[in-house]
Amino acid sequence: MKKFILKTIIYSVLILLIVEVVVRVFHLYTEDPPRFIDEYGVEKRVPANTGYAVTGNRNQNYSRFNINGAGFNSHREFIPSETKFEMALIGDSFVEGFHQDFYDSTGKKIEDRVSNSEVYEYGYAGYDLANQMHLIKAYKKDFDLIDEIVIYLNYESDLERGVYEPNYDRIKLLASTPFKIRDNIKILAYGSKIGILEPLKRMVSGKAFEEPQQGYQTNEVETIDEAEQKTIDIQRIANFKSLVKLYGFDKVKTSILLDSRKTSQRFLEFCSSNNIAVIDFANNFKNSKKATTLIYDWHWNNNGRDIIASTIADYIIVKRQNK
Amino acid sequence: MLFNSLQFLIFLPLVYLLYWFVFKKNLKYQNILIIVASYIFYGWWDWRFLFLILFSTLLDFYVGQAIYKCSEDKIKARYWLWLSLFCNVGLLGFFKYYNFFIDSFVDMFSAMGYQMKSTWTLRIILPVGISFYTFQTMSYSFDIYYKKLKPTKSFISFAAFVAFFPQLVAGPIERASNLLKQINTKRIFKYSQAASGLKLILWGFFKKLVIADSLAPIVDDIFANYASYPASTLILGVCLFSFQVYGDFSGYTDIAIGTAKLFGIELMSNFKFPNFSRNIAEYWQRWHVSLSTWFRHYLYIPLGGSRVGKLKSIRNICIIFLVSGLWHGANWTFVFWGAIHALLYIPVFLMGRNRLYANNVIAENSWFPTIKEVLQVILTFVLVTFSRIFFRSPSISDAFSYIQHIIDNFTYQAYVHPMGYRMLDFYVLIGLFTVYEYLIRKDERNPFKFTNPIVRLLLYAIIIISILLFYDDGVNRSFIYFQF
Repeated sequence: MKKFILKTIIYSVLILLIVEVVVRVFHLYTEDPPRFIDEYGVEKRVPANTGYAVTGNRNQNYSRFNINGAGFNSHREFIPSETKFEMALIGDSFVEGFHQDFYDSTGKKIEDRVSNSEVYEYGYAGYDLANQMHLIKAYKKDFDLIDEIVIYLNYESDLERGVYEPNYDRIKLLASTPFKIRDNIKILAYGSKIGILEPLKRMVSGKAFEEPQQGYQTNEVETIDEAEQKTIDIQRIANFKSLVKLYGFDKVKTSILLDSRKTSQRFLEFCSSNNIAVIDFANNFKNSKKATTLIYDWHWNNNGRDIIASTIADYIIVKRQNK
Repeated sequence: MLFNSLQFLIFLPLVYLLYWFVFKKNLKYQNILIIVASYIFYGWWDWRFLFLILFSTLLDFYVGQAIYKCSEDKIKARYWLWLSLFCNVGLLGFFKYYNFFIDSFVDMFSAMGYQMKSTWTLRIILPVGISFYTFQTMSYSFDIYYKKLKPTKSFISFAAFVAFFPQLVAGPIERASNLLKQINTKRIFKYSQAASGLKLILWGFFKKLVIADSLAPIVDDIFANYASYPASTLILGVCLFSFQVYGDFSGYTDIAIGTAKLFGIELMSNFKFPNFSRNIAEYWQRWHVSLSTWFRHYLYIPLGGSRVGKLKSIRNICIIFLVSGLWHGANWTFVFWGAIHALLYIPVFLMGRNRLYANNVIAENSWFPTIKEVLQVILTFVLVTFSRIFFRSPSISDAFSYIQHIIDNFTYQAYVHPMGYRMLDFYVLIGLFTVYEYLIRKDERNPFKFTNPIVRLLLYAIIIISILLFYDDGVNRSFIYFQF
């Protein structure tokens, strides 16, 4: 019995070591640059970090990121001035762009289309409108120099609150020892990414005996009745108003980038009646003959980013001409 | 409780430690532990169905003794046997086939012009593994009736035999002459047996998590949307289903046999590399062996087997395949599947080739198979895979429609994985898996037969890396055969 237990342990350790080496050599794990909340209460990445973000079990999507001095994934540093034309593109993971090489981002594609322009991509996974509006106010000095601001809004998830509060607990949790261990033992980082550690996570959070949701999730839109939708819309518009009141909204240089297919008509009418500029990419996506999102991921693929960049660039060019 | 769940990962070492360290010295306590652990294992799905197992256990325990007591009085013994059959088949009939037969009668009368409303169907949940443990308990009564076995006097031993958790929900369907005998005997820890058990568990997990689970989304997609796919994709879908169902069921069996070994118990083999069968008869000697031998011993031979003339033998073959089909599920698709196998088996039987490969494997004494053997294996695989269109389709009309689409839309188009993964990865995976199975084809209980410890260590590492590479969090990981 002793021999059996001892050999089982030895074999297990040796196998884990081999697997750790394989995961490192083939870079199967994804890197998640550390996060922090700065003195202005803005949550972002620790500057000057480079690495590779990996999606899928077998490196289905492998892309390089570069966290600049401002703490965002971008091919350039953010140094606004009065002499250049700068545009800020603010958003969540779609703008942060860990699913693409940083030198081939939406911002870079806009720069290629709009002459003499610099695009500053303030993207951070998990940002909602409260984060974005707070960021503009927090970095007021910079944003005063920036000529155009485009905020990417996912209506279904970005208007759930009317005030921003920095989530220090989450940052503290991510910096805690278990997470440090997870990030340094690459087999754990990889296992966590592909979901193999989900049962353990559920156990730690006291949900070990709850049945997990099985099967693939689809992107089908849930139908809700008009009365329920109206209540939701009213709340979201109230949140929007609250954010505008708290953090301000420069209607001259700020536009909202959205997909009208996933946005309530009531909110679109609200924007229209309040002279809030909207850049709608719904038709361009609909008319595209090629897929616009990654298949195993929900983010925009290269074609999707091309369309978004063209849509924004066309809008900016016209706006500049009209000035 | 699923083998591939965190609960089982905690449950197994706990039971193992109690078994070998706390109750090691007392066989009775060890068996009580097996019963308690097995009931927890089963009750994890639905504790209410534990009463069914308990009922089946009590029934056959007493029926077994009654048959033995009146073994001189054949008529009385037969009554007792019929009681066991009536109750066990009754349980199966009620929980598994009641709605099927009601609907079938309604459909039949409707087809004859009598419009009937199906108001008698009930909302019944199918208890997990009911077909497996009822067959196991029935085999006990049969063996006593045929005087192959003496009944056990210990109810604890018998209850442990019926409920032994590694094989409770999906087999192998054990005979009392094998499993009950071991449960009645003091178990001694053997290093080689425990190590071999762990190896089988690892191999079983590979087959389940890597082969079956990674193919499941592809097969589900193709069978759900068959009307929109060309023939090349439909053929691919059913071929991959062949590998999926094999990986799923044989993976489960390996984990079950491996787990039993950890407790010092040897279960019978259930799969002997059926993908290398050279004819349909050999296939049935290698696929789900415990079920096919059950039907042979308790249905085919009592009906006269092959010693009753050609016509009656053919009748017997048809009966066992149709019943075997129905055993799999309450759907005409399974009956049809069984009928196809009967039709494939009969010519082999008539040519006297049904026992030809009973005692040898492909390329028995050489490295490579002959061209004839390769062609035989391919033909058998194609025929078996064709029958699986019926096994996998939700209805007979869907199965025929699937075949119709293959014929009508006989074109090629590269298939795109529903989640966007490279299909090449899966083709390479299946190719390597087949080659490896060929290498180990002579011993299904020893998947890592290499003597060099470094080679073995690397193999274990490759298996675990494969699990990490092909693990899919979105897949429903229950076992296909649990529904039977």
